[in-house]
Amino acid sequence: MSIGHALLGLLEGGPRHGYDLKRAYDERFGQDRPLHYGQVYSTLSRLLKNGLVTEAGVEAGDGPERKRYAITDAGVTDVERWLSTPEKPEPYLQNTLYAKVVLALLSGRSATEVLDTQRAAHLTTMRELTRRKADGDLADQLICDFALFHLEADLRWLELTAARVDQLAAEVMR
Amino acid sequence: MKRVVSDLALGVRLAVGGSRKSWARLALQGVGIGLGVALLLFAASLPSVMDARSDREASREIVAEGNGPAPLLAEHQGHAFRSDYVAGHYLNTLRPDAPVPPGIDRLPGDGEIFLSPALAKLLDSPRGELLRPRFPQKVVGTIGQAGLQNPNELQFYAGSANIKEDGNAVHGWGVAKQGGGMNPVLWLLSVVGLVVLLFPVLVFVGVATRLAAAQRDRRLAALRLVGAAASRVRLIASGESLAGALAGLAVGFGIFFAVRPFVDQISINELSAFPSEVMPTPALTLTVIVAVPVLAVVTSLLAMRRTIIEPLGVVRNQKPVHRRVWWRLVPVVVGVALLVSQIGKITQTEKPDQWPVVFGIVLLMLGIPVLLPWLVERVVFLMKGGTPALQLAVRRLQLDSGTAARVVGGVAVVLAGTVTLQMMLAGVEKEVQANEKKQASFSYLSVKPRQSADLSGIAAALGKGKGVTAVHRVDTAWGSLDNGGYVSINIAPCAALTQEAAIPNCTDGKIYAVRESTGQPAAQAGDVVTFRQSGEKWTVPQVEVIDGTSNTGGLFITPAAARGLVPYSAEFLVVLDPAVPDAAEHARNAMAGYSWQVYSYFGGQDDTNEAERVFGVVRRALLAGSLLTLLVAAASLLVVALEQVRERRRPLAVMAASGVPRGTLARSLLWQNALPLAISTAVSLATGIGLGVLVIRVFGAEVAFDWAGIGLITGIVVGLTFAVTALTLPSLRRATGALGLRSE
Amino acid sequence: MSLLRAEGLSKSFGKTHALEDAGITIRAGEVVAVMGPSGSGKSTLLHCLAGILPPDRGTVHYRDHFGSDRELTAMNDGERSELRRTEFGFVFQFGQLVPELTCLENVALPLRLSGMKRKNAERAARDWLARLEVDGVADQRPGETSGGQGQRVAIARALVTGPKVIFADEPTGALDSLNGERVMHLLTTAARETGAAVVLVTHEPRVAAYSDREVVVRDGRSRDVEFAR
Repeated sequence: MSIGHALLGLLEGGPRHGYDLKRAYDERFGQDRPLHYGQVYSTLSRLLKNGLVTEAGVEAGDGPERKRYAITDAGVTDVERWLSTPEKPEPYLQNTLYAKVVLALLSGRSATEVLDTQRAAHLTTMRELTRRKADGDLADQLICDFALFHLEADLRWLELTAARVDQLAAEVMR
Repeated sequence: MKRVVSDLALGVRLAVGGSRKSWARLALQGVGIGLGVALLLFAASLPSVMDARSDREASREIVAEGNGPAPLLAEHQGHAFRSDYVAGHYLNTLRPDAPVPPGIDRLPGDGEIFLSPALAKLLDSPRGELLRPRFPQKVVGTIGQAGLQNPNELQFYAGSANIKEDGNAVHGWGVAKQGGGMNPVLWLLSVVGLVVLLFPVLVFVGVATRLAAAQRDRRLAALRLVGAAASRVRLIASGESLAGALAGLAVGFGIFFAVRPFVDQISINELSAFPSEVMPTPALTLTVIVAVPVLAVVTSLLAMRRTIIEPLGVVRNQKPVHRRVWWRLVPVVVGVALLVSQIGKITQTEKPDQWPVVFGIVLLMLGIPVLLPWLVERVVFLMKGGTPALQLAVRRLQLDSGTAARVVGGVAVVLAGTVTLQMMLAGVEKEVQANEKKQASFSYLSVKPRQSADLSGIAAALGKGKGVTAVHRVDTAWGSLDNGGYVSINIAPCAALTQEAAIPNCTDGKIYAVRESTGQPAAQAGDVVTFRQSGEKWTVPQVEVIDGTSNTGGLFITPAAARGLVPYSAEFLVVLDPAVPDAAEHARNAMAGYSWQVYSYFGGQDDTNEAERVFGVVRRALLAGSLLTLLVAAASLLVVALEQVRERRRPLAVMAASGVPRGTLARSLLWQNALPLAISTAVSLATGIGLGVLVIRVFGAEVAFDWAGIGLITGIVVGLTFAVTALTLPSLRRATGALGLRSE
Repeated sequence: MSLLRAEGLSKSFGKTHALEDAGITIRAGEVVAVMGPSGSGKSTLLHCLAGILPPDRGTVHYRDHFGSDRELTAMNDGERSELRRTEFGFVFQFGQLVPELTCLENVALPLRLSGMKRKNAERAARDWLARLEVDGVADQRPGETSGGQGQRVAIARALVTGPKVIFADEPTGALDSLNGERVMHLLTTAARETGAAVVLVTHEPRVAAYSDREVVVRDGRSRDVEFAR
């Protein structure tokens, strides 16, 4: 799960303070693992260094929480690329996928497309495994099956999410 | 007990269900069973109809003896009018307190007449034009139901003042009905006939209770799944079929009372009846009311004995158990043995013991439905199926030929019975037709006036008749022979004799002996004839035997050879011109003025012959009966076929989807219906013909085959097969539509 | 070059719109999975594609044995029946075998319908049963076999005529994982060996994984998802 992309995505809605960003992130993605301030500021400074965000003014007062950050064009392109690149199918990537779907919805992009891209990637991997299974011995088959069942679980989640995208959109936009 | 009732009630509730489907199923069952019940009720009404009929017949018998002078004189008269028979009494009322016959409220005065409704209608119609001259009297009323044997009877009571007392006194009407009435063997035969005809009805009721059985089995299996014990499921199932049976009873009584008013319109007189008399006897009604629900419950329980055990309703298609043959052959073998043992035992003189014959027939008939399931199974197992359609049908029948075999078993009994009866009829008819053939060259009216009648007047009147070419006087006498036989004697010139019998080279001075229907010559030279009326004896001189049998056998004597013979009565032989249509009716009209004083009998080719008329009636009744039962059987087959299409919706839909042409599927349905029917028809024809030959042999008569009748029945069976299949096609079409692919 | 091509297909059942402007292209010899949630119109798409169901709108084109283009949607019922019998094969989830015929006769049936002699048809059928490892049940009725055996018999029947396209609608729907895997393996292997294309309707990703690519149907619309192998 890439915190940097998530923060960039959140900034697409408009410039924010670092503190705002942390709160928005925790609210949407950090249910069980909220971000530390340190993570937020180290990430932001990395993004700043790479030219993906800029400082958009400082309010009266002192300290980093007074700085407002805005996304740059390069940043938008980066988010774009991230969303349209499927994750490497592997176990436990729901967090990332979920974040992608929510951010796509938040930014008015097609969440279904994100999901479809991902399912296609999953199926390609599954095909690969299925082919290997056909040629391999029993041990290969069992190992491939393990992976296949996990991927299938992911795919089922993708299906379910795709079926509920409209409901999710309504909730996210509220 | 409470549990039993509540389980039954649950079954009824499941049957009524509330959904449209379950109502439709109940309605179908109701109509199916109802048709059967209505037929049974009509059959149950037969005793009352027959009783009432014989009551009325007895009530119009003449009481000829009484005290004092005769109050009423009656002359019975009956004659043919084309193919109908008109009969009635000419009455001369001598005293005002003379007894009035049943059906009319007073006696007709001179020149008055009471007509039966059917006769009145005939006289009014254009068809009756040639009959009208015979009834110039003034119509003063109609004969009521009490005076008629059946609603179509052509009956009259006419007043005629010129009847003289001559052993024709009437002191009253109505005699005590003879106890027993029917001859016990005849009664037994009728019972056998009824059972044979009702068998398919029972089969049909059984089939109707099994409508939508697959669905019901699933439903009951679900009940098993939630924990109902097998015995309770049986109760619930009984409740379900009970609902259908009760609906059927209600519908049946409805149909019965709806159809009843029309029974007087049946065109066959002997079958028509007064609606008010068509009332099932209480005992038989009760039997129907009890038997139908019991039959419904028993058949459904029997049919479910395999499915009821499986809670999941998944009855795997097992290889069916092969039927065993030995006990199925028992009734057939015993029946044939009984009949064969009687061959030759019955001769002209000996009175036969008819019980073995009747039992043999019954056993043979019952043997058909018993043997048929085994036979269908064997035949079907030997078949492999040439075309895919045939293969589908054969395989289907191999899995379950029982249902179809049971249905067609009922048909087979009827067909066999019909074929046998037709053969027996054909045997008798052949003789009649032989006579007809002999008479084909004749066309004459034999007129027998009363002793007292004005002979020359009648002769003169006849001479003026349209189509009459000659009027010969024939003197007749009647005598007994020493050997116990009787002989009729006709004295007339050759011109007249050759009209009555085929006498070649007739010469005056000769005596001809025409063979009787038994094949014996009427008399031989040297026989002594004792005349019935005068008691005089006469020795038969040289006679010439005329070959060919005839029902007008007797001695035909030319005038020159008749010296010393005193005839007792005279009659006229009226030669008719065969080119003039209805010449006989014109001749009868010519002597209409002598109404009750003459009897006439037409000789020649026509359809008024009494025997032929009876044959016609029996044959039509037989045909109607077998047609009706065949229809019922076809309905049963239809139900079975529809049910099978429903059950096999899924495979049918998949086959259609995979490109199996609908025609192939339709043909497989056709084969599926045709195979059992063909087998049963073959069996019933074989049994019928075999039985016919045996029975005819037993009675020592000549074997004749009614190929036309057999062909007709076979044709009807073929037609029904197509009709049933055609009626299944819409449901096949629905099943094979793409929607059939969607899982339920 | 496309073997089977559908464009703008729409089909309604009463008020339910099962398909709306759906399209799909099948190339010779490829295995295409049609996926989507239940009620999305997968089966309807298959039925229209195979000429079982005439669509309300849209066209289906098929390139037959001789390479000539034929429009399924312009054919009458009899022509479509014949096409299905000679060029297509079908495998459904259940209930497709004629219960009263033996397995061998079931497989021989399509050949006999095309006029082949019984003996030859049954010899060919026996070969196919052996290939799908179910020659042991040849003389049993479908009701006496297990679900997996029944499906393999069904596949043998679908393949016996040497069809160009096999339509499989949830062929493993009634089977457990292991039997489902066997059936899919046998189906795709046999199809690849004979060069038949397979249109595979399924909602199970592991079954879809036997395909070369998938088409997703959602709310009656189809989306081709193309992937290079």
